[in-house]
Amino acid sequence: MSRVITITSGKGGVGKTTTTANLGTALAMQGARVAVVDADIGLRNLDVVMGLENRIVYDLVDVIEGRCRLRQALIKDKHFPDLLLLPAAQTRDKDAVTSEDMIELTNQLRKEVDYVLVDSPAGIEAGFRNAIAGADEVLIVTTPEVSAVRDADRIVGLVEAFEKGHPRLILNRLKLRMVNRGEMMSVEDVLQILAIDLIGVVPDDELIVSATNRGEVAVLDRASNAGRAFIEIARRIKGEQVPFMALEENTGVLERFFGMFGRRPRGSER
Amino acid sequence: MSLFDTLFRNKRERSSDIARERLLTVLVHDRVKLSPDVLEKLKAELSEVISKYVPAVEPNEIEVTLLRGESSDHIKADIPLRRSAE
Repeated sequence: MSRVITITSGKGGVGKTTTTANLGTALAMQGARVAVVDADIGLRNLDVVMGLENRIVYDLVDVIEGRCRLRQALIKDKHFPDLLLLPAAQTRDKDAVTSEDMIELTNQLRKEVDYVLVDSPAGIEAGFRNAIAGADEVLIVTTPEVSAVRDADRIVGLVEAFEKGHPRLILNRLKLRMVNRGEMMSVEDVLQILAIDLIGVVPDDELIVSATNRGEVAVLDRASNAGRAFIEIARRIKGEQVPFMALEENTGVLERFFGMFGRRPRGSER
Repeated sequence: MSLFDTLFRNKRERSSDIARERLLTVLVHDRVKLSPDVLEKLKAELSEVISKYVPAVEPNEIEVTLLRGESSDHIKADIPLRRSAE
């Protein structure tokens, strides 16, 4: 059974596109056929993060408007032939596509691949609604910062209101030293506030910037801590029980959290 | 004494704790559309009602937050009571 997974956040710039590119690659590395879809119409980004910007001939809007077949628009990844990119249109806006179009598109993609990852635009309007329209499940990316968490909270409510099940959380750009100094919210803080299941924590990693500069993804760099985290998230997506990796020893906060896969109980104290 | 206070105060006012508290409060407004002044009225009326039955309510100390449960959200009111000498 193919799965359509939308990666969204509310707030912009928290790492949706990086997450989509890395999870797509990690799943392909682990043997799956994967399509990654850039649903941010008008602000194309997934292509450039994956280094595929020079290979675009057709895009998502071309497919929906019938100017080409789906297979003509899908671009094979540089490293993994079973990883396919459907790029966004760069010169149209979000009104070019409806939710029904997206459901139809993701249904077509289900026939071709094991996983469809949809990179959602930021915000809560039509672009976001289109991005989740065809989804079986939703992953919410946030950073441990006040505005990102606030926006993620709004998204949690919307995902549940649109009956896309319980979204799962990816906490991105965690800086453990800052958490230990009490200058950054911890995993536990964020989980207490959002009260959704956690699927992964990705540490802040400079290698992400240099990888993106080169059009490469961090999961292919063995030195990248973020890359390793994305690989673990991909395994959890597949249903494997992967313990949350020790980002550092002596972390009382994280140790209490290890092993907590589930939602916090109703009415729990801080 | 003042050094101790400073140390103690710094420990209690870690910015991450402040952030968490602010978020828990602001999300009450975001989720149930309770504006701050409406929330204040709610707290004041809550305090009146409770103090009809339990006189020792500390009205300024009431905290109202929102918890997200499995299938519904819960408004949680924490109502501290003055300890009496009895």
